[in-house]
Amino acid sequence: MKRRRDYALRLRHRFSRRAVLVGAAQTGLFGLLLWQLRRLQILESPEYRLLSDDNRTTKRLVAPPRGTLYDRLGRTLAEDRENFRAIVVPAHCEDLAATLDSVSEIVPVSAADKDRVLRAARRQSGYFPVLVTEGLNWRQFALLSVLGPQLRGVRTDRSTYRRYTNVQGMGHVLGYVGMADKAEIGEHPIMRVPGFRTGKSGIEKGFDAALRGQAGTVNYEVDAHGRVVRELERTPGLRGKDLTLTIDQELQEFAYKRIQDLRVASVVVIDVKTGGIVVMASYPGFNPNDISFRVNPKEWRELAKNKDHPLENRALRGMYPPGSTFKVVTALAGLETGVIDPKERMHCPGGYSFGGHYFRCWKSHGTVHLHEAIKQSCDTYFYETVRRVTIDRLAVVAHKLGLGQIHDIGLAGQKPGIIPDTKWKRRTLGVRWYAGETISCGIGQGYVSTTPLQLAVATARIASGRALHPRMTVPAAGEPEPALLDIDPHHLELVRAGMVGVVNEAGGTAGRSKLTLPNVQMAGKTGTSQVISAKNRHRLKGWEGETHALFIAYAPVDEPRYAAACVVEHGGGGSRAAAPVVHDVMTEVLLRDPALQPRFVASNDDVLGGAKGQIR
Amino acid sequence: MKASLFVEGSAQAQLKLKEKLQGLNWPFLLLITAITLVGVAALYSVAGGSLEPWASRHVVRYCFGLALLLAVALIDMRWWMRAAYPLYVVALLMLAAVLVVGVESGGATRWLGWGEFSFQPSEIMKIALVLAVARYYQWLPPSQVSWPYAVLPPLAMIGLPILLALDQPDLGTAALFGIVGGGLLFLAGVSWIYFIGAIVAVIVVLPHIWASLHDYQQERILTFIDPERDPSGSGYHILQSKIAIGSGGFGGKGFMQGTQAQLDFLPEKHTDFIFTMFSEEMGFVGAAVLLALYLLVLLFITYMALRCRSTFARLVAAGMGLCLFAYVFINVAMVTGLMPVVGVPLPLVSYGGTSMLTMLVGLGFVLNAHVNRETRIRREELGVLW
Repeated sequence: MKRRRDYALRLRHRFSRRAVLVGAAQTGLFGLLLWQLRRLQILESPEYRLLSDDNRTTKRLVAPPRGTLYDRLGRTLAEDRENFRAIVVPAHCEDLAATLDSVSEIVPVSAADKDRVLRAARRQSGYFPVLVTEGLNWRQFALLSVLGPQLRGVRTDRSTYRRYTNVQGMGHVLGYVGMADKAEIGEHPIMRVPGFRTGKSGIEKGFDAALRGQAGTVNYEVDAHGRVVRELERTPGLRGKDLTLTIDQELQEFAYKRIQDLRVASVVVIDVKTGGIVVMASYPGFNPNDISFRVNPKEWRELAKNKDHPLENRALRGMYPPGSTFKVVTALAGLETGVIDPKERMHCPGGYSFGGHYFRCWKSHGTVHLHEAIKQSCDTYFYETVRRVTIDRLAVVAHKLGLGQIHDIGLAGQKPGIIPDTKWKRRTLGVRWYAGETISCGIGQGYVSTTPLQLAVATARIASGRALHPRMTVPAAGEPEPALLDIDPHHLELVRAGMVGVVNEAGGTAGRSKLTLPNVQMAGKTGTSQVISAKNRHRLKGWEGETHALFIAYAPVDEPRYAAACVVEHGGGGSRAAAPVVHDVMTEVLLRDPALQPRFVASNDDVLGGAKGQIR
Repeated sequence: MKASLFVEGSAQAQLKLKEKLQGLNWPFLLLITAITLVGVAALYSVAGGSLEPWASRHVVRYCFGLALLLAVALIDMRWWMRAAYPLYVVALLMLAAVLVVGVESGGATRWLGWGEFSFQPSEIMKIALVLAVARYYQWLPPSQVSWPYAVLPPLAMIGLPILLALDQPDLGTAALFGIVGGGLLFLAGVSWIYFIGAIVAVIVVLPHIWASLHDYQQERILTFIDPERDPSGSGYHILQSKIAIGSGGFGGKGFMQGTQAQLDFLPEKHTDFIFTMFSEEMGFVGAAVLLALYLLVLLFITYMALRCRSTFARLVAAGMGLCLFAYVFINVAMVTGLMPVVGVPLPLVSYGGTSMLTMLVGLGFVLNAHVNRETRIRREELGVLW
């Protein structure tokens, strides 16, 4: 018994010793755990903190605000506006429908929008944010931002959209913006940013690089599945450069409205001093707001499919036979090559025979010299002139005036037009030039085709005698004046005199479009170009068979400031359809030119001189 | 007085209920309630600041478990002693049954289920193993403790459930059986020689066995021991867990501010990785406090075991303590990257019904031993098996 009890006691003591040992071991192993925690949480904590931040944050690019576009007087044409939006994350809502109802008590949410959100929530993961409504005003946005936290799952968001203001007639010039397309996406990572838009046409496309700016970044907190939880910090990007255009918004609007009654027409007005394009209107046009923000596919299809092609900028892309407006070019070529003398008289019996072919004149002019030929637009005179000049020498002068070439004004999609010569014909048609083809080219028919912009440039060059280039942006200070044109100034003067006669002298083809402004006269040249030879006239019925009406002009005649060109597609005669348009537009342009104000004021004094004296 | 303490042969009367209640260790209950409350707070945070779905149920389960704990503690110790072997046999049979009709979940077959209700037999086995081994040494004459043939039965008791657990495969539970069983043998007084011998044998034999295995078998075993070898699997989890703990720093990111946990980078953050999210939000300080609470409980258990008069009570209390220790240590070592991921919950804190109830029942036995600390059991009261 004793012995066994001893065993029991010894065993109990052994247990005590070993239990203490085990307790100590447990404490020691807990110490090991604590040591490991110390390593992780104190010694290496900064590293893990970095890793954790790396885990939970993701950097995303933010589209920078696009540069603002101004007209020459600083009126805003296009700007990025803030777009306030309400967004809901369905997974964070307790009851989506009830949440939407609460939101609609604060900001208007249409039933259709509600339906759309509910459908989207069913269709996709509840963690994808769904747009409830956008375009909120500041008050609504502020209210929702304040009340939002009480509505679980609702948040506000701000992005930008492109807004075009004073947009009448401006569509073609400004162009529009849209999502980056496939070709652009590889260019820069910012192209993938939702909401980033690139210029698709007009100025927006031509000056896209400058307007775009530089992307900013936002750090978002994301969860393990990459869902954005909240925004942490934002580095604003560099906003795009603002651009001041040479366009005058009010004049553009005036011109656009003036040609609205015509079916298809375009007007270009160029500042003769700088080459700046003041007006470039093309009708029919479009409203860029309709296709830059929330595009309506139906409207877009209508625009794209319309038979009159409202998306086309006729001023740059419309190629028309210049008709009689081209006679100023032929006249210059004749003088420059010395084949005609301004005093030389030619007889116009109402037509001209060459190579067994009879070329008609629009009437029998009798005997005319250069001045009369321009003034009355005698075809016969220029048939003979161009025969002597020959086509290649005609082309040289035409090119000097800026025809048959693309002018780099930053707008894409320009058409070069055609100024034919023997080489051109062999190159493009593969056959030699026939002398008979030269004759119709002399009056701007045949292969000759030009754009309204080119016609305006040619007019401006004739008016100023300088090789100016058209432009859309205001020139930097200190930019040299355009070089002198490589044409004898005396010859230019002779042609200008003819153009003055067209508008201001009795018998001039555009006498009815003489300016009614005091102390200011306009010079011009009418043109009526056939779209189809008289023989085949019957094949095209109605509007499409009508001749194009053209008119080029500059004013004031004594000190040219503006040159203009107008083409009315199938508008009939140039003097009847095109010259009145230019008359109205030019009047408006001149009236708004501060440099010309003294003239008008002086004439006012003349008229009111007596009255003023009486009042005094 | 001293003589009367050691009088044997006179059967002691059962304790009265009032005595039992007085004998309960109330500070101990307070301590485990505190740990549970840490768990409730952590589960509240995991749910993104919501009692649903975990925290509230955690509380309910704790209350239920507490009732169970008291019941276990207040039932007469002799009854439990008699129930020890049958309970062990039942647990062993259920463990074997898992292999045949078990429900597979997450690549391992660990569950037995009847309709809605399912549980892990290995949890019952943890308690049954402690009771059975303690029962054995209560019966074994003290003089024979280190006799070779007397060591064999408890070795078999421990070895069988280990083999069954490995077959599930459930390395964590197997390790737990090993730690608890080995610890019990050690505390029961088995000679050092056996332990040293076992260690030497493992060191000598293992390399030979290893060398004789095919490459693919080695690879399979390595991946079994260390799942981090598969970087897309749990290796990612351990890295995320270390990032979470490390980024918590000294003071933590603040309650409910743990980005790793709240943003879903942590796996199983409400169960096995709850310590990770707790120490991310509460930092080194919070983690140390929680570990200190556990250590306090463990030392309390050791103290209670030391005060027990009967071998059975001592070993039951100490064995349950070992079980608790093994749980906490394996879990924390796992989430801090000291050990391979084996899937062991953090007692009282991790969400999970079975583990919560098991742990509270286990602690109930600790208190049972404490209540019966003065109870002596005569060898003659016990048969070999009943």
